[in-house]
Amino acid sequence: MLLQKTLSKSNKTDLYLDLVELTSGLLLVGFLWTHMLFVATILISQDTFNKLSEFLDTYYLSYIGIPFIIVIALFHFVIAGRRIPTRIQEQRIVWRHAKMLRHTDTWTWVFQTITGMAILVLGGIHVWMITTGWPIRAINSAERMESFWWFYLVLLIVGEYHAGFGIYRQFVKWGWFPRKPIGYISKVITAIILVLGLAAMVVFVQLGGTL
Amino acid sequence: MADRELTFEIFRYNPQKPETKPYLQTYKLKETTGMTVFVALNMIREEQDPSLMFDFVCRAAICGSCAMIINGRPRLACKTLTKTLPAKIKLFPLPVFKLIGDLSVDTGTWFRHLSLKTESWIHTSKTFDPKAQEERMDNKTALEIYEAERCIECGCCIAGCATANIREDFLGAAGINRVARFMVDPRDERTPEQYFEVVGSEEGAFGCMGLMACDDNCPMELPLQMQLAFVRRKIAKIGLGVKEKKGVKLA
Ligand code: SF4
Ligand code: SF4
Ligand code: FES
Repeated sequence: MLLQKTLSKSNKTDLYLDLVELTSGLLLVGFLWTHMLFVATILISQDTFNKLSEFLDTYYLSYIGIPFIIVIALFHFVIAGRRIPTRIQEQRIVWRHAKMLRHTDTWTWVFQTITGMAILVLGGIHVWMITTGWPIRAINSAERMESFWWFYLVLLIVGEYHAGFGIYRQFVKWGWFPRKPIGYISKVITAIILVLGLAAMVVFVQLGGTL
Repeated sequence: MADRELTFEIFRYNPQKPETKPYLQTYKLKETTGMTVFVALNMIREEQDPSLMFDFVCRAAICGSCAMIINGRPRLACKTLTKTLPAKIKLFPLPVFKLIGDLSVDTGTWFRHLSLKTESWIHTSKTFDPKAQEERMDNKTALEIYEAERCIECGCCIAGCATANIREDFLGAAGINRVARFMVDPRDERTPEQYFEVVGSEEGAFGCMGLMACDDNCPMELPLQMQLAFVRRKIAKIGLGVKEKKGVKLA
């Protein structure tokens, strides 16, 4: 026993941080996937998209949901980000290590930190664009999408990547299911969401072109 | 595969002679049937370069001394057949552990530290009676303990782990596996709270980022993912004060 550990016994911080990382991550994945399903309603019709958006507005769901998600996302960034090596020397070690090992899961983690940073920046811009162009209607979205499709393409890929592998890793860490099937399922879901997202983008861009 | 000529690129460095910087030395060797990296290294040492340092004892994947980085991955030299590798083979010593020289590292000190830190012995208040009949244990528990005890302390899981590479105090998969072994042992009288002290931090269960380099590289194919997850769940429950069902010891 070491004195400093005896004096600060049963320190639960690391446990709580891990649980916050888990819950915030799950909430964000849940949000992202629902968000993409909502966006994909444009594939049915403009009317469905607008109705859904109006519905979320009238019941104040957007006004509660958006700030809530922003807070959760910031929490997640700070807490999951504690894993990112801060010292340059450590970053070099991890980089060399990943290159040497040629190990998929280690590489996905390296990309996980990079995509995480990217989401913070791109997601921030996205929220700002949406809130300044309120309300969300098919027409507004189509205009945005037509001018900034490349921006949304990057955000979509980066976001889905981060969510898909993030949820896979949580399941692996907590061991609720065996690894292989979970990897497979998270890839399939990610692929479906990506296809929906891309399809929605195409529709929006076409719609934007007709304006 | 017949008659391949193998090219070995081997990391050379002797901490005793720091004036010579680390470098890669090339050796060429004819492949023979059933050749392992361990056999090849012995041939090189006997026929070409007696100064080459590397470790082995059992040459049968039992002692865990011959672990090294073979073409980027932590492997046992005695268990790795050259025919599974390309003709060019790069060898490095394991990272994380203290470098003795060339391919030889000191895993012993590290693992001893691990045993002390996790207090790897049965904590019991009973005094041992050599005449009494041995206490019985149900088969399932015994098998769970054996499974964890199959670890040969080779260090592959530690060397492959990105976390262990940057955090010196991280117990790694071998350490957490060790804790799992005592958690399921009904003879160990440690309380849940005592276990929490051992692994309930970033040095233990919560330091793991789930990269699974340990699980993918353990030469004994221990179920490390499940062991890590088992300890993580148990420790989380203890930390949150969730009571286990009566009569069931942690497992
Ligand atoms: S799963 Fe955990 S212990 Fe295993 S390599 Fe990854 S971080 Fe290390
Ligand atoms: S768990 Fe596997 S890789 Fe790790 S030290 Fe034990 S045998 Fe080696
Ligand atoms: S020499 Fe003992 S494990 Fe390889």
